[in-house]
Amino acid sequence: MGGPVLFGVRHLSPAAAFHLRRALDAHQPELVLVEGPSDLNDQMKWLCHPETQFPAAILAYTQTPPVRTILYPFAEYSPEIQAILWAHEHQVPCRFMDLPSSVFLAFQTAEAERALESQEADGEEEPEEDRSNTTEAVYRRLEELTGQDHDTFWERHFEQLEEDYQAAANTFGRELRASVADVPRSAAETLVREAFMKRCIQEGVEGGISPEKIFCVCGAFHVAGLEENAPMTDGELAALPAVESAVTLMPYSYYRLSTRSGYGAGNRAPAYFELLWEAMNGKGLVQAPYLYLTRLAAAHRKAGNLVSAAEVIEGVRLAQVLAGMRGSRYPVLADLRDAAVTTMGHGHFSELALAAADTEIGTRIGSLPEGVSRTSIQEDFYRQLKALRLEKFRTAQTQRLELDLREKLNVKSEQAALMDLRRSFFLHRLRVLGVHFGQLLPSRQEGANWGEYWDLRWTPEAEIEIVESALLGDTVEGAAAFALKERGEESTSIAQAASIFEDAFLCGMPEAAAHALAVLQSLSVDAAALADVAETASRLSLVVRYGDLRRFNAAPVVPLVKQLYLRACFTLEDACICDVQAAPAVIRAMDQLNLLQLSHEFLEEDRWLELLAEVSDRDDLNTRCSGFAMAILLERGKADEGLLAREVARRLSPGVPADLGAGWFEGLAGKNRYALIARLSLWRHLDDYLSTLDDEAFRRALVFLRRAFSDFTPSEKNDIAENLGEIWGVNPQQAAELLMNDTTEVEQAVLDSLSDFDFDDI
Amino acid sequence: MADKNVQRLPAEELYQREIDALISVDKDPVPTGWRMSPRAVLHYITGECTVKGIPISAKYIGDWRLVEIAIATLLTDRALLLIGEPGTAKSWLSEHLTAAITGDSTKVVQGTAGTTEEQIRYSWNYAMLIAKGPCPEAMVKSPVYRAMESGSIARVEEISRCASEVQDALISILSEKRLSVPELGLEVPARKGFSIIATANTRDKGVNDMSAALKRRFNIVVLPTPSSIDDEMEIVQTRVEELSWGLDLNASQPDRDTVEQVVTIFRELRSGATLDGKQKLKTTSGVLSTAEAISLLANSMALAGSFGDGSVTAKDLAAGLQGAVVKDEEKDKVCWKEYLENVMKKRGSDWLPLYRACRELNG
Repeated sequence: MGGPVLFGVRHLSPAAAFHLRRALDAHQPELVLVEGPSDLNDQMKWLCHPETQFPAAILAYTQTPPVRTILYPFAEYSPEIQAILWAHEHQVPCRFMDLPSSVFLAFQTAEAERALESQEADGEEEPEEDRSNTTEAVYRRLEELTGQDHDTFWERHFEQLEEDYQAAANTFGRELRASVADVPRSAAETLVREAFMKRCIQEGVEGGISPEKIFCVCGAFHVAGLEENAPMTDGELAALPAVESAVTLMPYSYYRLSTRSGYGAGNRAPAYFELLWEAMNGKGLVQAPYLYLTRLAAAHRKAGNLVSAAEVIEGVRLAQVLAGMRGSRYPVLADLRDAAVTTMGHGHFSELALAAADTEIGTRIGSLPEGVSRTSIQEDFYRQLKALRLEKFRTAQTQRLELDLREKLNVKSEQAALMDLRRSFFLHRLRVLGVHFGQLLPSRQEGANWGEYWDLRWTPEAEIEIVESALLGDTVEGAAAFALKERGEESTSIAQAASIFEDAFLCGMPEAAAHALAVLQSLSVDAAALADVAETASRLSLVVRYGDLRRFNAAPVVPLVKQLYLRACFTLEDACICDVQAAPAVIRAMDQLNLLQLSHEFLEEDRWLELLAEVSDRDDLNTRCSGFAMAILLERGKADEGLLAREVARRLSPGVPADLGAGWFEGLAGKNRYALIARLSLWRHLDDYLSTLDDEAFRRALVFLRRAFSDFTPSEKNDIAENLGEIWGVNPQQAAELLMNDTTEVEQAVLDSLSDFDFDDI
Repeated sequence: MADKNVQRLPAEELYQREIDALISVDKDPVPTGWRMSPRAVLHYITGECTVKGIPISAKYIGDWRLVEIAIATLLTDRALLLIGEPGTAKSWLSEHLTAAITGDSTKVVQGTAGTTEEQIRYSWNYAMLIAKGPCPEAMVKSPVYRAMESGSIARVEEISRCASEVQDALISILSEKRLSVPELGLEVPARKGFSIIATANTRDKGVNDMSAALKRRFNIVVLPTPSSIDDEMEIVQTRVEELSWGLDLNASQPDRDTVEQVVTIFRELRSGATLDGKQKLKTTSGVLSTAEAISLLANSMALAGSFGDGSVTAKDLAAGLQGAVVKDEEKDKVCWKEYLENVMKKRGSDWLPLYRACRELNG
């Protein structure tokens, strides 16, 4: 039979790659055709580039939303890659022969639309198609018959073949095809693909190459299809759907390969497969167990465990015996793992899990030469990465980056002086785009706004995310601006709008910030909850205070801060009429407003103080809020000793219900404790008040007081003890001991019963 | 053939027919000192096949891979250490492995706090020692010694219960593969096929921890507690059948529902949650191993056979359950009562008789 050579492979199979090369050497074909989208032929030169390091992947994506993508990952041991490399080395033409990616993407789009339609039509998923005959089902049956999972089965019976790989794989594919009656739709897709491949072969023949000099590399499953089916006609070709699509080459990682399950898309143990590939091209597979177990032992030692060479030797022996018992010449991964667990892991895989992940999956990330065709946003990203000297952070290892946003005065160029600030802008823009390259860490000292800390880690996912952002704009900045604008238009609350404004500020994008500010202004006209207003105002206040640092003109923000401050002042009193649960939120808002007023002179102080005095004075508000207002006044020095004494006497006078009195005290204790502790009279009042309560009321008060004192530090408690000691006339140390002691069991029981305390009647 | 009056026959006698059948059809190469090929040993242990009309019963129910690893270990002349919770068939597996490989599972050293180094190596018949002085006839050889001489497998049960100096005696034997008798100027080399299977209990951890040196000389296989309730029920059912056959209990086998109830109770109290995971339970101080479930059922059968009508009733079970669950009077009793009221009572009519019987015992 003089037809073309059809070499059936399993994707990402080192044995297939190895035998494929030998077959190529033997046949010396004049044209090599590889299963892969035929519009990606341009990318081949990059795959063969000496600087390209695998794993790498070709990503095809639609250029209109919603973005659909197809990914073709390749490792060095991919048969497809070895075929392409062989052709390159021998200067033989090589082409992809599968349907163009634009057609695949059109299929995908159509499939998604169909699913959506059927969902809308009957509100449910399509009825389950008969899945008993899919490839997956055949694999499951094989697993039941052989008692090992499919990967192990394949490795044991195919990866170790030394001769006749082609015949074995082709037979497997043919038999698999015979026992599979796939779901109609995917079967149809297979037929279309095979017809197209056949057409590519025919084109080759028409181009003047004799059929037997054409070498096709395809999935073993397609071999029978390529033998039998007719090539696609011109009419059929024209009828294929297609969507506008673009293609990019990107580095890939072993980790990502291992997380993608399923035939062709990935494999569980890329580093192990690479090791097999090394062994095959070195001393043969006989070497693989030694390589695996010594690497595993090394990784295990590196993790701080003790592994002796004797254990490794025993591991190799055991693996070999196990392989013999299980019917293969060399150990497969499952045997090696079992042996390692038995000899090194003391019978527990968990002990070796870390080392095994290192040895089997590995951390390798591919890289591509400069100049590989990229989307414009990728170009921009890499250009900026270089300009900002962030290239060394493009690794799989997490690295810490510390930025000092202040202008450096001792350098010459403005560029360098603001380097860190521009880095910050860049990283924030990526964050806004949802590109997971940098993670912002909380700042270390409170208020140290010139410092910013990032954890940077490069993943292939980030590359994909950048490619996906291509839809939003041509540069990182443009895309980020578009993303912010979109978010701004969708926001419905001032908290959302404020966060967008903050993002725009952090990204150093004044226009986007102005846009967000306008949105914020229009939203803030409508009444909003006090907590939201205070929160928003204090966020804006940060921008006003530290805007200079980021070279941001904060003037347009000031009126809005004023407006929000006024609104908060007007609503505060009403907000203070609230129950126990709402009180903490109000108190937080009061604290924020206080800080706000203190930090900006353009906010009227008198208004705030009058308001506080009012809140503090009124009896019909939540007493905790009143207490806190008193505390603020005290802190700001606007309440004198006399006022405090009067208030304490009034609030804690006999007859005041326990929850009101203790609640007020809780509010008072929320601030400037030192001042409180220093005032002996206060404690005397509290003591007098508590002794007037009856048992039931006392237990009630206890709940509030316990909460009030819960976050006092030991030394503060000590000081209180001294006060009480003085009042009660006992030795302060004894009192302290009593207060500081761990609660006894009896006390604990009593306290526990307080948790069940019934507040219904309060 | 086997003596019917023996309370418990060693595995190689109990399953002689199976072993003989497997040997007669064995075509794979047989390692030195072994009676059958590794694959035949695997078939003998995992069962579920018929050889020459003789059904081979499953000796170990669970992951075959572990059995493969165990056999492969013995092939590499390494010693094998089986570790697991009580009742995970460690001794059972070690007995059957030796029975199949060497045809003699009786070379056993039982590890206890009182085990001495002599029991690992050799001791003397003192009357003869005094009469004749040191001579080969006066020597009493340990099972390990005899296994070395004959190239077979010795078993050391509960190795972690032995004092550490006794454990250390094994180190030189396992690494040098020879034993010296200075009194006679002898060096006994181990013949091919010699190995040791030791078992250790995870609950005994810390009693006499094995030294790293000794651990390094063993390949360690951890036997898990049966992972699914079906596996455990199968284990219980087969073992109860075998036991009752040997013990003449005069009672019919407990039915599947009864076995399921017992296994369910054991599993739930062991894991501290109901099988569906919806309810948390207090765990008891006892181990509640599969082995205990087996002996509980056999015990109930004995009760039914001797004092009842020959079929296991809820009452027979309740007595056994009480004893198995309540080990530490105060604490366990509370757990057990809570379990009765919170779980068992709500399980519906199938469980009602057992619930009532248990309730009665607890007042």
